[in-house]
Amino acid sequence: MDIEGNVSPATEKKEVGAGNQTSNGTSTAATEAVMARFRQQIEITKLQKFIQFFTEKKYYFIGLVAILSTWQILMFVQVLGPDFSPSFSPWAALLAFIEMVTSGDLSRHTWPSLRRVFYGLSLSVVFALPVGVLIGYFTKLEQMTYVTFQFLRMISPLAWMPVSIIIFGVGDNSVVFLLWLVAIWPLILNTAHGTGRVSQLWINMARTMGAGDWAILRKIIIPAAIPDMLTGLRLSVGISWIILVPAEMLGVPDGLGYYILDTRDRFRYDQLMATIVTIGAIGYILDSIMRMFIRRYAWKI
Amino acid sequence: MSGNNKAKNKKVLLRCKNLWKVYEKNGVQVPVCCGLDFDVYENEFLCITGPTGCGKSTILKMMAGLELPSMGALSLRGKPITKPNRERGIIFQEYSMLPWRTVFQNVCLGMEILNISPKERKEKALKYLSLVALTYAKDRYPYELSGGMKRRMTLAMVLVTNPKILLMDGAFGALDAKTKMVMQAEIIEIWKKESATIVFVTSELDEAVKLGDRIIVLNSKGAVMKIINNTLPRPRHGKVAQEPRFLRQFVALREEVFITLKAGTVQKGAS
Repeated sequence: MDIEGNVSPATEKKEVGAGNQTSNGTSTAATEAVMARFRQQIEITKLQKFIQFFTEKKYYFIGLVAILSTWQILMFVQVLGPDFSPSFSPWAALLAFIEMVTSGDLSRHTWPSLRRVFYGLSLSVVFALPVGVLIGYFTKLEQMTYVTFQFLRMISPLAWMPVSIIIFGVGDNSVVFLLWLVAIWPLILNTAHGTGRVSQLWINMARTMGAGDWAILRKIIIPAAIPDMLTGLRLSVGISWIILVPAEMLGVPDGLGYYILDTRDRFRYDQLMATIVTIGAIGYILDSIMRMFIRRYAWKI
Repeated sequence: MSGNNKAKNKKVLLRCKNLWKVYEKNGVQVPVCCGLDFDVYENEFLCITGPTGCGKSTILKMMAGLELPSMGALSLRGKPITKPNRERGIIFQEYSMLPWRTVFQNVCLGMEILNISPKERKEKALKYLSLVALTYAKDRYPYELSGGMKRRMTLAMVLVTNPKILLMDGAFGALDAKTKMVMQAEIIEIWKKESATIVFVTSELDEAVKLGDRIIVLNSKGAVMKIINNTLPRPRHGKVAQEPRFLRQFVALREEVFITLKAGTVQKGAS
């Protein structure tokens, strides 16, 4: 037995110890006892956890309550005048919200909206990811498209509305087209950015392992760009949801955008406010889902 | 070029013939390799050392096929080297693993590229993970590993593709002193176990003397100063390395390498 054989397991143990204190087999009974006491201390009940959650996040709740109270007080002192103020208050909005939920009006307008956003996003993902990867990978292609894309992405999709109606007619297809148009830019640009900054080192490594272009694309470039793709998708979801409301004011018979106009026409400002709050809440939830996706699937360095 | 009589009756694996590499820097042509002529023998541990910027890494990149020589030729068993190929595995100075893959998945990468079946992949990956003593960390991600573990992982990633020659570029340079010694002992063990051929580029004298069968010393201009036959008996780690006779030999050899290096560096001034 030479020293060489003995040296390596010793480091191995040390390195295990750095990551996981209990499973390396070298810890003594004394360490074990201390660890057990420590574990006991950090064990807490579910109720304590619940309270802890609120204590940690208390400023989020305080802020929310403060905003709502201010809103209610402003309406109470009738800043919008005696005619409008009562129906614009949060309390009225809450009552209207309950009424809309129970009558089924809200879901009748929410689902078409979500469906349109889903179609628009799906089509833009199918289109933008391959385009983004190509642009990011081939510098020439990036230069050829740079001016056009930077130019096009500055145009609000609503400006295309007449064109869209000429091509697709009034209805769902027009709205989906506008949503697609707004969602592709963040996806293309982020995917291209992610693809373009793939480390040459990884590509060289794969090539010395015998990888061809296809294998490099599949094993290195696409997985490397996933965090940027997800960031792009998050931005696309946000902007699609924002554009949805005006897009749905273009002659579709349902959807949250349509409902905004509908409540206005019926002078139901309490329902209008409830719809606005609903739009914000759904947008917030969609963004939270995307953030969760990013946390789950984006690799760390 | 003296003292490779013993090596002469060995089989040549990789041959460098009048190898030149010239880079263009701000319109000026800067040579980094000047007419390199040497062979790498089968099952040899060849160390290449030289001052900073002498083109040590460039030689390895050319051997790997990632860069083409400006003049001259490289051949592996008579076949010219023109592009990267899994026959020549390279371990880069930087840690080249993929951060979104676990240790195990990273080791599998080379075999996925070669379309090896999942079952065989798993078997082989586990075998090489145990060879580099990383089995216990196989499900961790690179950012959870220490420098020494990352180094061992990149080693397994390359070994698993069965290269005919292993090119290592300043592989242990970034490690702390203790980990470095451990890794030096381990690479020798692996070299023996796998009967591999290794070309090891290093800027550290001790490392070159400790590891190499032969040491090629380059000068600042990127030409071969001397090829030194390393007669130090193996093993060179552990108890043997504490004996006075071994130490005398070790120091004498290191001095020889040092004097050669110094002679080759003077043109660039005091450093």
